[in-house]
Amino acid sequence: MDLNFACKYPFTEEGKQVIIENDIQISDEMAERGVNRIVAALNRELRPAKPVHLSDQLIEIGSYGAARMLLAHLKNRYLINKFAIAEAKKASSLMSLENSENLEKLREELGIAPKEFGGKLVLPIEAYVKFSPRAIEYRLINRNVKGGFVEVNQREIIRLMEEGVKMKVEKVGRFPNAPETIRKYSERLMKLVPKTAPSKMSFKEGDNPPCIEKLLETAKKHQNLGHQGRWTLVVYLINKGMPYEKILQIFSNFPDYDERVASYQIKHAIKREYSMPACGMMLSYGLCMANCKIGNPLRWKAWKQKKQ
Amino acid sequence: MEAEKAMILKSFSDYYKQAKITVPFVEQREFGVGGFRKKIESRHMSFASLSALKNYLVQDPPLYISHSIAYYKYPEATPMENKDWLGGDLIFDLDVHSGMFLTSEEIEEVTNDAIKLEDILKEEFGIKDEEMLRVFSGGRGFHIHVNSPQFRKINGDGRREIADYVSGAGLDLGKFFEKADKYRMVGPKRSDWGYRGRFCRIIQKTIEEKPSGIHRGLKKEEEKNKVLACMEDGNWSKTPIKDIVERTVRVAEKEMRLETVDVDTGVTIDTKRLIRVPNTLHGSTGLVAKKLDRFEGFEPYRDALAFGNEPLKIKANQDLPEQDFAGETMEKIEKGEEKGVPKSYGTYLILKDAATLV
Repeated sequence: MDLNFACKYPFTEEGKQVIIENDIQISDEMAERGVNRIVAALNRELRPAKPVHLSDQLIEIGSYGAARMLLAHLKNRYLINKFAIAEAKKASSLMSLENSENLEKLREELGIAPKEFGGKLVLPIEAYVKFSPRAIEYRLINRNVKGGFVEVNQREIIRLMEEGVKMKVEKVGRFPNAPETIRKYSERLMKLVPKTAPSKMSFKEGDNPPCIEKLLETAKKHQNLGHQGRWTLVVYLINKGMPYEKILQIFSNFPDYDERVASYQIKHAIKREYSMPACGMMLSYGLCMANCKIGNPLRWKAWKQKKQ
Repeated sequence: MEAEKAMILKSFSDYYKQAKITVPFVEQREFGVGGFRKKIESRHMSFASLSALKNYLVQDPPLYISHSIAYYKYPEATPMENKDWLGGDLIFDLDVHSGMFLTSEEIEEVTNDAIKLEDILKEEFGIKDEEMLRVFSGGRGFHIHVNSPQFRKINGDGRREIADYVSGAGLDLGKFFEKADKYRMVGPKRSDWGYRGRFCRIIQKTIEEKPSGIHRGLKKEEEKNKVLACMEDGNWSKTPIKDIVERTVRVAEKEMRLETVDVDTGVTIDTKRLIRVPNTLHGSTGLVAKKLDRFEGFEPYRDALAFGNEPLKIKANQDLPEQDFAGETMEKIEKGEEKGVPKSYGTYLILKDAATLV
């Protein structure tokens, strides 16, 4: 059992085994650190801890377990997604410095198995489309594809693994009978969660075209959006006449929301008066959902009314 | 219309008595059936075995029957979340927009697309021949069912990436190029796969056959070789032509369209879609949604007939043009005219609301 490995990557099977084999019970200290782990995720503090001593390592692994218990008990999608992103980013920064043996272990666990094919480093298509982030350069159409494989480089593999960790961590099961420690620290955690986020969104169903509905749905589910998706959404909402404060409220639903950054981006977009990308552009961003052939997403309402 | 309905249901039932229907993992599929009102009138049905399905088709033949592309633990359960999705075939739907009959040009067009799609699936997606089920839709095109464990678990977003890839949706050739530094433009190279490789093949062919289509200067051997050398290692700064990217992109864009296939993305991305059961009848044509060994040479009005040539007396509801059907040329029929026609043709017309029984 590699304690060091389990400590760095507590979401792995090895992390789980350490908890079982050492019969780790969630102590106050672990729960406390679990709370801190989640709060750090909310504040985007992504530096991984570096415990040296054995006992400290065990507590660190336990704190991950405690954090997951807290999240399972609270069933708060926003917190879960924030936590998953932070854990994935932490793992990613460690993975890029990792030795090949540990990397291999992680790849196997995540189901990302690159191999040599036709003289290139590749991933099977199904793994690639499962783990690739939503960015234009990762779209399958822009990639080298052959024989069921997609060419990737080492940097991209780490990025896909980060996505894999996020997907693993965000799978939080039910936890109906949480022990007293978890209940107590859940309350403490909720007191520390900033009150500003996230806000409820209200839109009439069918007000927006399917592509925009999908972007809003992502916000509602507290999932992250790629750069193009986020930019498109801002431009759409501005063009629909939505005030700055309301757009900011919608953006507060994204797990990687940072008020300072989002505020700058929205204000910048308002100032520059960007025009809404046409449907063709939406297609190339990979954001077109229904091919409704209306030319521009902003025409949706007029088109729908005409159709009725 | 009652007489027509009875005749059609009897004919469908007779067809199913001898039809060979196979559905892989039949017990894990949801079924949906349709009748004279709608293509899908009820769904969430399931059959424990192929013989149960066959019995149903003979005894109570629907006009349309579709099965889920998905495998479910509980195919009958509702709502959909309770079915427990286990995976699904990867489906491609190719259609032409057609009038009363498919023209030979439309058949040729959709057949060529199907062949092109087959090639992309084999070459680029590594799908084996035996993992592909080729089916005439019974209507206006073809379906390809990919039954490969590799693709079974891909979700809707992943399937969209695949559909967009084959249809070229969102293809932006300019994005293949990027400035590596102040002096170097990096772009596609000949050893690349996918659309980048195609881009190079198109440019190479143009340089060899009609270099002035890119730039007048490329008539000179020396300049030509410089562009060819760019595609060797992907360093596109070897040619002095400043706007080489714009010029090559313009040329390749036109040709590239010929290499994409216009699949119905909505079908491919839907992991809970119902799709016509192969070898069953299509209720709008009476043709068999026939399993095919190959697309080449398939003629729907010759090779997908379910009924024989025994005459059926019909009365036309509209003017009907001359049409090749069942290996013969059907004469023009005027509105209101009564005529004896082969049963397969008569059924087709009745289901299209273009004729009634006499």
